[in-house]
Amino acid sequence: MNDTLALLQKFNAHPDSRCWYVAWNPKGTLLASCGGDRTIRIWGREGDSWECKTVLQDGHQRTVRKVAWSPCGNYLASASFDAKTCIWKKKNDDFECLTVLEGHENEVKCVAWAPSGNLLATCSRDKSVWIWEVDEENEYECVSVVNSHTQDVKHVVWHPTQELLASCSYDNNVCVYKEEDDDWECRATLEGHTSTVWGLTFDPSGQRLASCSDDCTVKIWKECQPEEGTDAAWKCVCTLSGFHGRTVYDIAWCPLTGALATACGDDGVRVFKEDETADPDQPAFSLSAHVPKAHTQDVNCIAWHPKEAGLLVSCSDNGEIAVWNYQSGV
Amino acid sequence: MDSVITQSFHVEGYRKGFDEGTRQGMIDGRKHRASHGAKLSTEVSFDYGFGITWKCLLQNNTDVKARKRLKALESPLGLILKFPHEEPQYENLQEDMEKVRAKFRLVCSLLNVPTDFSDYVKSGGISF
Repeated sequence: MNDTLALLQKFNAHPDSRCWYVAWNPKGTLLASCGGDRTIRIWGREGDSWECKTVLQDGHQRTVRKVAWSPCGNYLASASFDAKTCIWKKKNDDFECLTVLEGHENEVKCVAWAPSGNLLATCSRDKSVWIWEVDEENEYECVSVVNSHTQDVKHVVWHPTQELLASCSYDNNVCVYKEEDDDWECRATLEGHTSTVWGLTFDPSGQRLASCSDDCTVKIWKECQPEEGTDAAWKCVCTLSGFHGRTVYDIAWCPLTGALATACGDDGVRVFKEDETADPDQPAFSLSAHVPKAHTQDVNCIAWHPKEAGLLVSCSDNGEIAVWNYQSGV
Repeated sequence: MDSVITQSFHVEGYRKGFDEGTRQGMIDGRKHRASHGAKLSTEVSFDYGFGITWKCLLQNNTDVKARKRLKALESPLGLILKFPHEEPQYENLQEDMEKVRAKFRLVCSLLNVPTDFSDYVKSGGISF
Protein backbone atom coordinates (compact mmCIF):
# COMPACT_ATOMS: atom_id res chain seq x y z
CA MET A 1 0.00 0.00 0.00
CA ASN A 2 1.25 3.47 -0.82
CA ASP A 3 -1.23 4.95 1.64
CA THR A 4 -0.13 5.83 5.16
CA LEU A 5 -1.67 6.91 8.43
CA ALA A 6 1.01 8.46 10.63
CA LEU A 7 0.63 9.55 14.24
CA LEU A 8 1.41 13.26 14.71
CA GLN A 9 0.51 13.73 18.36
CA LYS A 10 -1.17 11.87 21.20
CA PHE A 11 -2.19 13.47 24.47
CA ASN A 12 -4.26 12.80 27.55
CA ALA A 13 -7.31 15.00 27.11
CA HIS A 14 -9.63 13.82 29.87
CA PRO A 15 -7.54 12.41 32.74
CA ASP A 16 -8.87 9.24 34.42
CA SER A 17 -11.97 9.15 32.26
CA ARG A 18 -13.28 8.47 28.78
CA CYS A 19 -12.92 10.93 25.95
CA TRP A 20 -16.24 10.47 24.16
CA TYR A 21 -16.18 12.91 21.27
CA VAL A 22 -14.04 15.40 19.33
CA ALA A 23 -15.21 18.09 16.92
CA TRP A 24 -13.36 20.63 14.80
CA ASN A 25 -14.73 24.15 14.53
CA PRO A 26 -15.66 25.14 10.94
CA LYS A 27 -12.36 27.01 10.36
CA GLY A 28 -10.32 24.13 11.76
CA THR A 29 -8.51 26.34 14.27
CA LEU A 30 -10.02 24.77 17.37
CA LEU A 31 -10.83 21.25 18.54
CA ALA A 32 -13.54 20.63 21.13
CA SER A 33 -13.51 17.41 23.16
CA CYS A 34 -15.85 16.11 25.84
CA GLY A 35 -15.81 13.24 28.26
CA GLY A 36 -16.80 11.22 31.27
CA ASP A 37 -15.25 13.83 33.58
CA ARG A 38 -18.27 16.09 32.75
CA THR A 39 -16.07 18.68 31.06
CA ILE A 40 -15.64 20.14 27.60
CA ARG A 41 -12.12 21.12 26.59
CA ILE A 42 -11.12 23.44 23.78
CA TRP A 43 -7.76 22.77 22.13
CA GLY A 44 -5.85 25.19 19.92
CA ARG A 45 -2.75 24.78 17.82
CA GLU A 46 0.55 26.02 19.22
CA GLY A 47 3.16 25.40 16.55
CA ASP A 48 3.13 21.67 15.89
CA SER A 49 1.15 20.67 18.92
CA TRP A 50 -2.32 21.12 20.37
CA GLU A 51 -2.72 22.85 23.74
CA CYS A 52 -5.72 23.13 26.03
CA LYS A 53 -7.11 26.68 25.80
CA THR A 54 -10.26 26.41 27.87
CA VAL A 55 -12.02 23.96 30.18
CA LEU A 56 -15.81 24.25 30.53
CA GLN A 57 -16.53 22.40 33.72
CA ASP A 58 -19.72 23.68 35.32
CA GLY A 59 -22.13 23.07 32.51
CA HIS A 60 -23.18 19.50 33.15
CA GLN A 61 -23.78 17.21 36.11
CA ARG A 62 -22.96 14.03 34.21
CA THR A 63 -20.90 12.75 31.25
CA VAL A 64 -20.84 15.03 28.23
CA ARG A 65 -21.43 12.66 25.33
CA LYS A 66 -21.11 14.87 22.23
CA VAL A 67 -20.30 18.42 21.19
CA ALA A 68 -21.14 20.28 18.00
CA TRP A 69 -20.06 23.65 16.60
CA SER A 70 -22.54 25.94 14.89
CA PRO A 71 -21.82 26.57 11.17
CA CYS A 72 -20.69 30.13 11.97
CA GLY A 73 -18.26 28.81 14.61
CA ASN A 74 -19.47 31.17 17.35
CA TYR A 75 -21.54 28.65 19.28
CA LEU A 76 -20.93 25.22 20.73
CA ALA A 77 -23.68 22.78 21.74
CA SER A 78 -23.04 19.98 24.25
CA ALA A 79 -25.23 16.92 24.84
CA SER A 80 -25.08 15.24 28.23
CA PHE A 81 -26.28 12.24 30.17
CA ASP A 82 -27.81 14.74 32.61
CA ALA A 83 -30.66 15.03 30.04
CA LYS A 84 -29.69 18.58 29.09
CA THR A 85 -28.18 20.24 26.03
CA CYS A 86 -26.14 23.39 26.70
CA ILE A 87 -25.58 26.11 24.16
CA TRP A 88 -22.33 27.98 24.71
CA LYS A 89 -21.41 31.30 23.11
CA LYS A 90 -17.78 31.95 22.27
CA LYS A 91 -16.45 35.20 23.71
CA ASN A 92 -12.78 35.61 22.71
CA ASP A 93 -11.03 32.64 24.32
CA ASP A 94 -13.84 31.88 26.71
CA PHE A 95 -17.33 30.44 26.46
CA GLU A 96 -20.43 31.37 28.39
CA CYS A 97 -23.52 29.24 28.71
CA LEU A 98 -26.27 30.99 26.76
CA THR A 99 -29.13 28.60 27.41
CA VAL A 100 -29.98 25.08 28.47
CA LEU A 101 -32.38 23.00 26.35
CA GLU A 102 -34.48 20.70 28.50
CA GLY A 103 -37.19 18.25 27.65
CA HIS A 104 -35.60 14.87 27.03
CA GLU A 105 -36.54 12.37 29.71
CA ASN A 106 -33.08 10.93 30.12
CA GLU A 107 -29.54 10.87 28.62
CA VAL A 108 -29.08 13.05 25.55
CA LYS A 109 -26.86 11.09 23.17
CA CYS A 110 -26.20 13.58 20.39
CA VAL A 111 -26.65 17.15 19.23
CA ALA A 112 -26.17 18.41 15.68
CA TRP A 113 -26.48 21.79 14.01
CA ALA A 114 -28.13 22.11 10.58
CA PRO A 115 -25.95 23.75 7.89
CA SER A 116 -28.31 26.77 7.86
CA GLY A 117 -27.50 27.43 11.52
CA ASN A 118 -31.21 27.92 12.29
CA LEU A 119 -32.01 24.37 13.39
CA LEU A 120 -30.60 22.00 15.95
CA ALA A 121 -31.38 18.31 16.45
CA THR A 122 -30.97 16.26 19.63
CA CYS A 123 -31.64 12.60 20.35
CA SER A 124 -31.85 10.56 23.49
CA ARG A 125 -32.17 7.24 25.29
CA ASP A 126 -35.84 8.21 25.65
CA LYS A 127 -36.16 7.04 21.99
CA SER A 128 -37.07 10.47 20.62
CA VAL A 129 -35.50 12.96 18.25
CA TRP A 130 -36.18 16.65 18.94
CA ILE A 131 -35.79 19.45 16.40
CA TRP A 132 -35.21 22.96 17.77
CA GLU A 133 -35.37 26.29 15.97
CA VAL A 134 -33.19 29.31 16.77
CA ASP A 135 -34.63 32.75 16.18
CA GLU A 136 -32.93 36.14 15.59
CA GLU A 137 -32.93 36.83 19.31
CA ASN A 138 -31.01 33.61 19.99
CA GLU A 139 -34.02 31.95 21.55
CA TYR A 140 -34.35 28.23 21.14
CA GLU A 141 -37.70 26.57 20.80
CA CYS A 142 -38.66 22.99 20.14
CA VAL A 143 -40.56 22.59 16.86
CA SER A 144 -40.93 18.83 16.67
CA VAL A 145 -40.64 15.70 18.78
CA VAL A 146 -40.48 12.53 16.70
CA ASN A 147 -40.76 9.00 18.10
CA SER A 148 -39.79 6.86 15.11
CA HIS A 149 -37.29 4.67 16.86
CA THR A 150 -38.27 1.95 19.31
CA GLN A 151 -35.04 2.13 21.33
CA ASP A 152 -32.22 4.46 22.45
CA VAL A 153 -31.27 6.87 19.63
CA LYS A 154 -27.49 7.09 19.38
CA HIS A 155 -26.70 9.72 16.76
CA VAL A 156 -28.23 12.41 14.55
CA VAL A 157 -26.67 14.03 11.51
CA TRP A 158 -27.87 16.71 9.07
CA HIS A 159 -27.59 16.52 5.30
CA PRO A 160 -24.80 18.86 4.08
CA THR A 161 -27.04 20.90 1.74
CA GLN A 162 -30.73 20.04 2.23
CA GLU A 163 -32.97 20.31 5.28
CA LEU A 164 -32.93 16.60 5.91
CA LEU A 165 -32.02 14.76 9.08
CA ALA A 166 -30.91 11.19 9.76
CA SER A 167 -30.79 9.29 13.06
CA CYS A 168 -29.67 5.83 14.14
CA SER A 169 -30.52 3.63 17.05
CA TYR A 170 -30.17 0.61 19.29
CA ASP A 171 -33.21 -0.69 17.37
CA ASN A 172 -30.79 -1.46 14.43
CA ASN A 173 -32.40 1.10 12.12
CA VAL A 174 -31.60 4.41 10.51
CA CYS A 175 -34.43 6.95 10.08
CA VAL A 176 -34.52 9.85 7.64
CA TYR A 177 -36.69 12.90 8.43
CA LYS A 178 -38.09 15.78 6.40
CA GLU A 179 -40.28 18.73 7.28
CA GLU A 180 -43.88 18.63 6.12
CA ASP A 181 -46.32 21.45 7.11
CA ASP A 182 -44.18 22.75 9.97
CA ASP A 183 -43.81 19.26 11.36
CA TRP A 184 -40.88 16.90 11.09
CA GLU A 185 -41.71 13.33 10.12
CA CYS A 186 -39.84 10.13 9.47
CA ARG A 187 -39.90 9.63 5.70
CA ALA A 188 -37.76 6.52 5.43
CA THR A 189 -36.56 3.71 7.70
CA LEU A 190 -33.35 2.04 6.57
CA GLU A 191 -33.24 -1.56 7.72
CA GLY A 192 -30.32 -3.88 7.23
CA HIS A 193 -27.95 -3.73 10.16
CA THR A 194 -28.31 -6.66 12.54
CA SER A 195 -27.34 -4.75 15.65
CA THR A 196 -27.13 -1.22 17.14
CA VAL A 197 -26.24 1.47 14.63
CA TRP A 198 -23.77 3.80 16.36
CA GLY A 199 -22.78 6.40 13.77
CA LEU A 200 -23.78 8.13 10.53
CA THR A 201 -22.08 10.39 8.01
CA PHE A 202 -23.12 11.87 4.68
CA ASP A 203 -20.75 11.98 1.71
CA PRO A 204 -19.65 15.48 0.58
CA SER A 205 -22.49 15.74 -1.99
CA GLY A 206 -25.14 14.39 0.37
CA GLN A 207 -26.17 11.70 -2.12
CA ARG A 208 -24.99 8.87 0.08
CA LEU A 209 -25.12 8.04 3.76
CA ALA A 210 -22.70 5.73 5.56
CA SER A 211 -23.66 3.96 8.79
CA CYS A 212 -21.57 1.92 11.21
CA SER A 213 -22.75 -0.69 13.63
CA ASP A 214 -22.27 -3.13 16.48
CA ASP A 215 -22.61 -5.83 13.78
CA CYS A 216 -19.01 -4.86 12.80
CA THR A 217 -20.01 -3.60 9.36
CA VAL A 218 -20.30 -0.30 7.56
CA LYS A 219 -23.19 0.19 5.13
CA ILE A 220 -23.46 2.74 2.34
CA TRP A 221 -26.98 3.89 1.49
CA LYS A 222 -28.10 5.81 -1.57
CA GLU A 223 -31.35 7.64 -2.17
CA CYS A 224 -33.28 6.14 -5.08
CA GLN A 225 -35.28 8.28 -7.47
CA PRO A 226 -38.84 8.13 -6.18
CA GLU A 227 -41.80 7.34 -8.33
CA GLU A 228 -44.49 9.96 -8.80
CA GLY A 229 -46.20 10.66 -5.47
CA THR A 230 -44.15 8.31 -3.30
CA ASP A 231 -41.49 9.07 -0.71
CA ALA A 232 -37.84 8.64 -1.59
CA ALA A 233 -36.41 5.29 -0.63
CA TRP A 234 -32.88 4.61 0.48
CA LYS A 235 -31.19 1.42 -0.60
CA CYS A 236 -28.09 -0.22 0.78
CA VAL A 237 -25.62 -0.16 -2.13
CA CYS A 238 -22.53 -1.47 -0.35
CA THR A 239 -21.61 -3.31 2.85
CA LEU A 240 -18.06 -3.35 4.20
CA SER A 241 -17.73 -6.50 6.26
CA GLY A 242 -14.76 -8.52 7.45
CA PHE A 243 -12.67 -5.40 8.13
CA HIS A 244 -13.57 -4.63 11.72
CA GLY A 245 -13.00 -7.02 14.60
CA ARG A 246 -15.47 -5.35 16.94
CA THR A 247 -18.20 -2.72 17.10
CA VAL A 248 -17.66 0.25 14.78
CA TYR A 249 -18.47 3.25 16.99
CA ASP A 250 -17.99 6.14 14.62
CA ILE A 251 -17.54 6.91 10.95
CA ALA A 252 -16.54 10.10 9.14
CA TRP A 253 -16.60 10.95 5.44
CA CYS A 254 -13.89 13.45 4.51
CA PRO A 255 -15.50 16.51 2.85
CA LEU A 256 -12.26 17.24 0.95
CA THR A 257 -11.04 13.84 -0.30
CA GLY A 258 -14.03 11.48 -0.01
CA ALA A 259 -12.05 9.06 2.19
CA LEU A 260 -14.02 7.19 4.89
CA ALA A 261 -12.51 6.79 8.38
CA THR A 262 -13.80 4.51 11.14
CA ALA A 263 -13.35 4.26 14.92
CA CYS A 264 -13.52 0.72 16.25
CA GLY A 265 -13.97 -1.15 19.52
CA ASP A 266 -10.90 -3.20 18.63
CA ASP A 267 -8.84 -0.04 19.37
CA GLY A 268 -8.08 0.48 15.67
CA VAL A 269 -8.49 3.35 13.25
CA ARG A 270 -9.08 2.58 9.57
CA VAL A 271 -9.36 4.62 6.39
CA PHE A 272 -11.20 3.36 3.31
CA LYS A 273 -10.91 4.71 -0.21
CA GLU A 274 -13.56 4.44 -2.89
CA ASP A 275 -12.67 2.50 -6.05
CA GLU A 276 -12.99 4.99 -8.87
CA THR A 277 -13.78 2.37 -11.49
CA ALA A 278 -16.85 1.00 -9.73
CA ASP A 279 -20.42 1.62 -10.92
CA PRO A 280 -21.82 4.64 -8.99
CA ASP A 281 -24.89 2.59 -8.05
CA GLN A 282 -22.70 -0.20 -6.72
CA PRO A 283 -19.76 1.56 -5.10
CA ALA A 284 -16.79 -0.37 -3.82
CA PHE A 285 -14.38 0.60 -1.08
CA SER A 286 -11.02 -0.84 -0.14
CA LEU A 287 -9.01 -0.58 3.05
CA SER A 288 -6.42 2.09 2.41
CA ALA A 289 -4.74 2.43 5.83
CA HIS A 290 -5.10 0.75 9.22
CA VAL A 291 -3.52 1.37 12.62
CA PRO A 292 -4.47 -1.70 14.70
CA LYS A 293 -3.63 -0.32 18.14
CA ALA A 294 -4.32 3.36 17.55
CA HIS A 295 -5.31 3.58 21.21
CA THR A 296 -5.09 1.16 24.13
CA GLN A 297 -8.87 1.04 24.47
CA ASP A 298 -12.03 1.48 22.33
CA VAL A 299 -11.90 4.31 19.83
CA ASN A 300 -15.08 6.34 20.30
CA CYS A 301 -14.86 9.07 17.71
CA ILE A 302 -13.10 10.02 14.50
CA ALA A 303 -13.14 13.41 12.75
CA TRP A 304 -11.57 14.81 9.59
CA HIS A 305 -10.18 18.34 9.61
CA PRO A 306 -12.52 20.61 7.60
CA LYS A 307 -9.74 22.47 5.75
CA GLU A 308 -6.57 20.43 5.81
CA ALA A 309 -6.81 17.29 3.67
CA GLY A 310 -5.57 14.17 5.46
CA LEU A 311 -5.60 15.60 8.98
CA LEU A 312 -7.60 13.27 11.21
CA VAL A 313 -8.30 13.14 14.93
CA SER A 314 -9.50 10.24 17.10
CA CYS A 315 -10.33 9.80 20.78
CA SER A 316 -10.65 6.87 23.12
CA ASP A 317 -12.00 5.33 26.32
CA ASN A 318 -8.54 5.81 27.80
CA GLY A 319 -9.07 9.60 27.73
CA GLU A 320 -6.60 10.23 24.93
CA ILE A 321 -6.84 12.21 21.72
CA ALA A 322 -4.62 11.24 18.77
CA VAL A 323 -3.90 13.41 15.74
CA TRP A 324 -3.06 11.62 12.47
CA ASN A 325 -1.86 12.45 9.01
CA TYR A 326 -3.38 10.35 6.25
CA GLN A 327 -1.65 10.37 2.91
CA SER A 328 -2.88 8.59 -0.15
CA GLY A 329 -0.21 7.40 -2.53
CA VAL A 330 -2.37 7.91 -5.61
CA MET B 1 -59.93 -53.18 25.02
CA ASP B 2 -57.72 -51.47 27.62
CA SER B 3 -56.08 -49.29 24.99
CA VAL B 4 -59.45 -48.15 23.63
CA ILE B 5 -60.60 -47.11 27.11
CA THR B 6 -57.24 -45.36 27.79
CA GLN B 7 -57.51 -43.61 24.43
CA SER B 8 -61.00 -42.30 25.20
CA PHE B 9 -59.85 -41.04 28.62
CA HIS B 10 -57.01 -39.20 26.87
CA VAL B 11 -59.42 -37.59 24.44
CA GLU B 12 -61.86 -36.59 27.17
CA GLY B 13 -59.05 -35.36 29.42
CA TYR B 14 -57.66 -33.25 26.59
CA ARG B 15 -61.05 -31.78 25.75
CA LYS B 16 -61.82 -30.87 29.37
CA GLY B 17 -58.36 -29.36 29.79
CA PHE B 18 -58.71 -27.35 26.60
CA ASP B 19 -62.14 -26.05 27.62
CA GLU B 20 -60.90 -25.10 31.09
CA GLY B 21 -57.87 -23.36 29.58
CA THR B 22 -60.06 -21.46 27.14
CA ARG B 23 -62.39 -20.36 29.94
CA GLN B 24 -59.54 -19.25 32.20
CA GLY B 25 -57.82 -17.56 29.25
CA MET B 26 -60.94 -15.52 28.52
CA ILE B 27 -61.16 -14.44 32.18
CA ASP B 28 -57.48 -13.47 32.30
CA GLY B 29 -57.68 -11.75 28.91
CA ARG B 30 -60.69 -9.73 29.97
CA LYS B 31 -58.93 -8.60 33.18
CA HIS B 32 -55.80 -7.71 31.24
CA ARG B 33 -57.76 -5.79 28.63
CA ALA B 34 -59.75 -3.91 31.25
CA SER B 35 -56.65 -2.98 33.21
CA HIS B 36 -54.71 -1.75 30.17
CA GLY B 37 -57.75 -0.06 28.73
CA ALA B 38 -58.24 1.78 32.01
CA LYS B 39 -54.58 2.91 32.10
CA LEU B 40 -54.77 4.10 28.51
CA SER B 41 -58.01 6.01 28.98
CA THR B 42 -56.65 7.57 32.20
CA GLU B 43 -53.69 8.82 30.21
CA VAL B 44 -55.78 10.04 27.25
CA SER B 45 -58.28 11.81 29.54
CA PHE B 46 -55.49 13.44 31.54
CA ASP B 47 -53.85 14.65 28.32
CA TYR B 48 -57.16 15.99 27.07
CA GLY B 49 -57.90 17.81 30.33
CA PHE B 50 -54.37 19.24 30.40
CA GLY B 51 -54.67 20.41 26.80
CA ILE B 52 -58.11 21.99 27.21
CA THR B 53 -57.00 23.81 30.37
CA TRP B 54 -54.03 25.39 28.62
CA LYS B 55 -56.19 26.21 25.61
CA CYS B 56 -58.54 28.15 27.91
CA LEU B 57 -55.62 29.89 29.60
CA LEU B 58 -54.00 30.90 26.32
CA GLN B 59 -56.90 31.71 24.02
CA ASN B 60 -57.41 35.30 25.11
CA ASN B 61 -53.74 36.09 24.88
CA THR B 62 -52.82 37.76 21.60
CA ASP B 63 -49.01 37.74 21.73
CA VAL B 64 -47.00 35.72 19.21
CA LYS B 65 -45.73 33.15 21.71
CA ALA B 66 -49.21 32.37 23.00
CA ARG B 67 -50.46 31.96 19.42
CA LYS B 68 -47.66 29.49 18.74
CA ARG B 69 -48.47 27.47 21.83
CA LEU B 70 -52.16 27.40 20.98
CA LYS B 71 -51.33 26.17 17.51
CA ALA B 72 -49.10 23.46 18.96
CA LEU B 73 -51.95 22.34 21.25
CA GLU B 74 -54.37 21.91 18.35
CA SER B 75 -52.48 18.90 17.04
CA PRO B 76 -52.61 16.54 20.06
CA LEU B 77 -56.13 17.68 21.00
CA GLY B 78 -57.27 16.94 17.46
CA LEU B 79 -55.68 13.49 17.57
CA ILE B 80 -57.40 12.68 20.86
CA LEU B 81 -60.81 13.77 19.55
CA LYS B 82 -60.36 11.48 16.54
CA PHE B 83 -59.42 8.55 18.78
CA PRO B 84 -61.71 5.56 18.20
CA HIS B 85 -62.64 5.10 21.86
CA GLU B 86 -65.12 2.32 21.06
CA GLU B 87 -62.79 0.25 18.93
CA PRO B 88 -60.50 -1.97 21.01
CA GLN B 89 -59.05 -3.61 17.90
CA TYR B 90 -57.95 -0.33 16.30
CA GLU B 91 -54.65 -1.26 14.62
CA ASN B 92 -52.93 2.09 14.82
CA LEU B 93 -53.52 2.48 18.56
CA GLN B 94 -49.87 2.31 19.63
CA GLU B 95 -48.69 4.53 16.78
CA ASP B 96 -51.34 7.19 17.47
CA MET B 97 -50.61 7.12 21.21
CA GLU B 98 -46.91 7.69 20.45
CA LYS B 99 -47.86 10.66 18.26
CA VAL B 100 -50.04 12.13 21.03
CA ARG B 101 -47.27 11.64 23.60
CA ALA B 102 -44.69 13.24 21.31
CA LYS B 103 -46.97 16.23 20.63
CA PHE B 104 -47.60 16.75 24.34
CA ARG B 105 -43.91 16.67 25.11
CA LEU B 106 -43.41 19.37 22.50
CA VAL B 107 -46.21 21.46 24.05
CA CYS B 108 -44.74 21.01 27.54
CA SER B 109 -41.38 22.16 26.21
CA LEU B 110 -42.97 25.31 24.73
CA LEU B 111 -44.90 25.99 27.94
CA ASN B 112 -41.84 25.30 30.11
CA VAL B 113 -43.81 22.70 32.04
CA PRO B 114 -41.94 19.61 33.24
CA THR B 115 -43.34 16.39 31.76
CA ASP B 116 -43.27 14.33 34.92
CA PHE B 117 -46.92 13.49 35.41
CA SER B 118 -46.23 10.21 37.16
CA ASP B 119 -48.39 11.25 40.13
CA TYR B 120 -51.38 11.31 37.82
CA VAL B 121 -50.68 8.91 35.00
CA LYS B 122 -48.67 5.75 34.60
CA SER B 123 -48.09 5.57 30.86
CA GLY B 124 -45.64 3.52 28.88
CA GLY B 125 -47.46 1.35 26.40
CA ILE B 126 -48.58 -2.24 26.49
CA SER B 127 -45.92 -4.90 26.83
CA PHE B 128 -46.10 -8.68 26.74
